[in-house]
Amino acid sequence: MLQPILQLESITRDFSDGRKIRRVLYTTDLSIFPGEFTIIAGPSGSGKTTLLTIMGLILKPSEGEISIQNERVTHLPENRLATVRQQKYGFVFQQAELLPALDVLENVVVASGIQGQTVSAGLRKKAGELLDSFGMGDCLSMTTQQLSGGQKQRVAIARALINAPALLLCDEPTSALDSESSTIVLDALKQLSKDTTRGLIMVTHDPRVFPYADRLIKIENGSIVYDSRPQGAQEA
Amino acid sequence: MRSRVAFKILLHDRSTTAGALIGVIAIVFLVGQQISVLFGLFTYMSVLVDHGGADIWVCSKNTDNINGAGYIPERYVDRVSGLAGVAWAEPLLFGGASLVTRDGKNEAVQVVGLRNPRGAAGPWRFYQGGQDGLLEFEGATIERLDAKLYGNPQIGDSIEIGNVRVRVSAITQSVKGFAGRLVFTNMVKAQEIIKSPPGRCKAVLVKLKDGVSLEAGLAHVRSMLPGAEVLSADELSRMTRIYYVKNTGMGGSFGLSTLIGALVGIIIITLTMYTGVLQRQKDFAVLRALGARKLDIFIIVLAQSLMIGVVGVFIGFLLLAGFLSGTLDSPLPSYMPLWIAPVLAGATLFMCVLGSLLAMRKAISVEPASVFR
Ligand SMILES: Nc1ncnc2c1ncn2[C@@H]1O[C@H](COP(=O)(O)OP(=O)(O)OP(=O)(O)O)[C@@H](O)[C@H]1O
Ligand SMILES: [Mg+2]
Repeated sequence: MLQPILQLESITRDFSDGRKIRRVLYTTDLSIFPGEFTIIAGPSGSGKTTLLTIMGLILKPSEGEISIQNERVTHLPENRLATVRQQKYGFVFQQAELLPALDVLENVVVASGIQGQTVSAGLRKKAGELLDSFGMGDCLSMTTQQLSGGQKQRVAIARALINAPALLLCDEPTSALDSESSTIVLDALKQLSKDTTRGLIMVTHDPRVFPYADRLIKIENGSIVYDSRPQGAQEA
Repeated sequence: MRSRVAFKILLHDRSTTAGALIGVIAIVFLVGQQISVLFGLFTYMSVLVDHGGADIWVCSKNTDNINGAGYIPERYVDRVSGLAGVAWAEPLLFGGASLVTRDGKNEAVQVVGLRNPRGAAGPWRFYQGGQDGLLEFEGATIERLDAKLYGNPQIGDSIEIGNVRVRVSAITQSVKGFAGRLVFTNMVKAQEIIKSPPGRCKAVLVKLKDGVSLEAGLAHVRSMLPGAEVLSADELSRMTRIYYVKNTGMGGSFGLSTLIGALVGIIIITLTMYTGVLQRQKDFAVLRALGARKLDIFIIVLAQSLMIGVVGVFIGFLLLAGFLSGTLDSPLPSYMPLWIAPVLAGATLFMCVLGSLLAMRKAISVEPASVFR
């Protein structure tokens, strides 16, 4: 029986705009399984990013519990959450968000060393290999300004993978790319999603990427309105 | 990796880094220059005492600075000389007079009269000639840095001071006083020039024999001369400096300009470091999302601040050294005691970190969620 890698139980999120409180995410129960490409889709403002950042331990839920690999993390203090993010998560953002001060290789290893860890030669080698597997092997010492949008996003994916995360979370990673670069990035993600030790979640508003999904979840006005895997159902 | 990130950001954001560096350099240079001029003036104030070569100074009662000493009987010299434990005792005379320059103008000078043949408290550095010049009956020294003002008299030339004719017999080098331009001559000529009462001097310099403690020497001389102020050379030197700092408003003025130098530096550092962090907010948010704790972001900005501090202090001290060596033989007094350097460096680093506090606060308050907006 397949165990969920990430579980949300009765999660909600409210935002206050100063005067009144507005619920942007209604009670949500969701389990994410490894080895499948989970796509969360919905129109702008529907709460996709809110849901993703809650799953990524970046945004605190207003209510509910989050478990990673059956361990509850909801009430951990902020610095412990940061450590969990470093050890178990990889993030790919809409823009690549590389650090312009660092070269390509350093942009990848920084995710390993940001809590003060020393970056070993072995780790640099691993980063080089990762970059090479995304066709970026010749660009290790380039500055980020020398890269195209698609190349930057591939470096960002390498950065997200350097700590061998249990979860890879992507927020519209292709929306800033042309269709050719998009395809390269989506193919790479599709490939990565086959790893049964890792959960892969991508948020998008673009129906053209739906065919990549192993599991498609649709969200509207802060509620999940469709899930291609019925809640609770598990793969045989 | 944190310090590497800190360093790479500094390299990348060159204008911010340069701005903050200028702030640090401003502190080191402005404050260091003020301090060295202050210490330079300090050395001028008590220059006769510091270079007198005596352990004990006997002055008129209640003397609180050497330049304000009144007259005391010259026969004190003989009274003290006879004491056991005293190696020698010498009288010293000094007072203001006016020197007539080549083109007939008057320049105020401080005439110092020494008793031959020892010539205690004589000039300590010569440009031309030497102490022997003062053995001549009409011999007097002038200071090289003042020579131009007097119309450049050469060795052997006659000059008139206080209606008395003397001959330039030596030229001193950087022998400067606070109370006036120093001219050294023998006791007899000095008496004639400054028209001091006969049989009187301004101070008696006492050198103790080897092995005699200063306390014992002071006590001995005090009991012999109860009507005089008997002070150790160090004490008189210190009292003289304090007198000037207190009574000329100099302390306040130097304190203020030192403070302004430090403030200007801190403000420059604060503004540039803060705008530097504002520019990099997105980077810090990304690092936070990737797993950096607030502590890690704090360490990055602290490391940047220290790196800028260390490099800035280094450059600042180079400039300061240039300033100090440039003014070594000029009329502008400047002198930096060695112990000041580490204190100034430490204080500057502290001010650099202080100036970065606002930037640190901003940096650690960056929300990781902001990457997603
Ligand atoms: N920090 C916040 N403060 C207040 N309201 C917020 C905040 N973040 C999000 N919201 C609101 O929550 C709702 C959902 O936002 P969210 O960013 O999750 O949408 P989204 O589905 O990701 O949209 P998009 O496709 O435009 O990225 C929106 O109405 C938004 O205005
Ligand atoms: Mg969004």
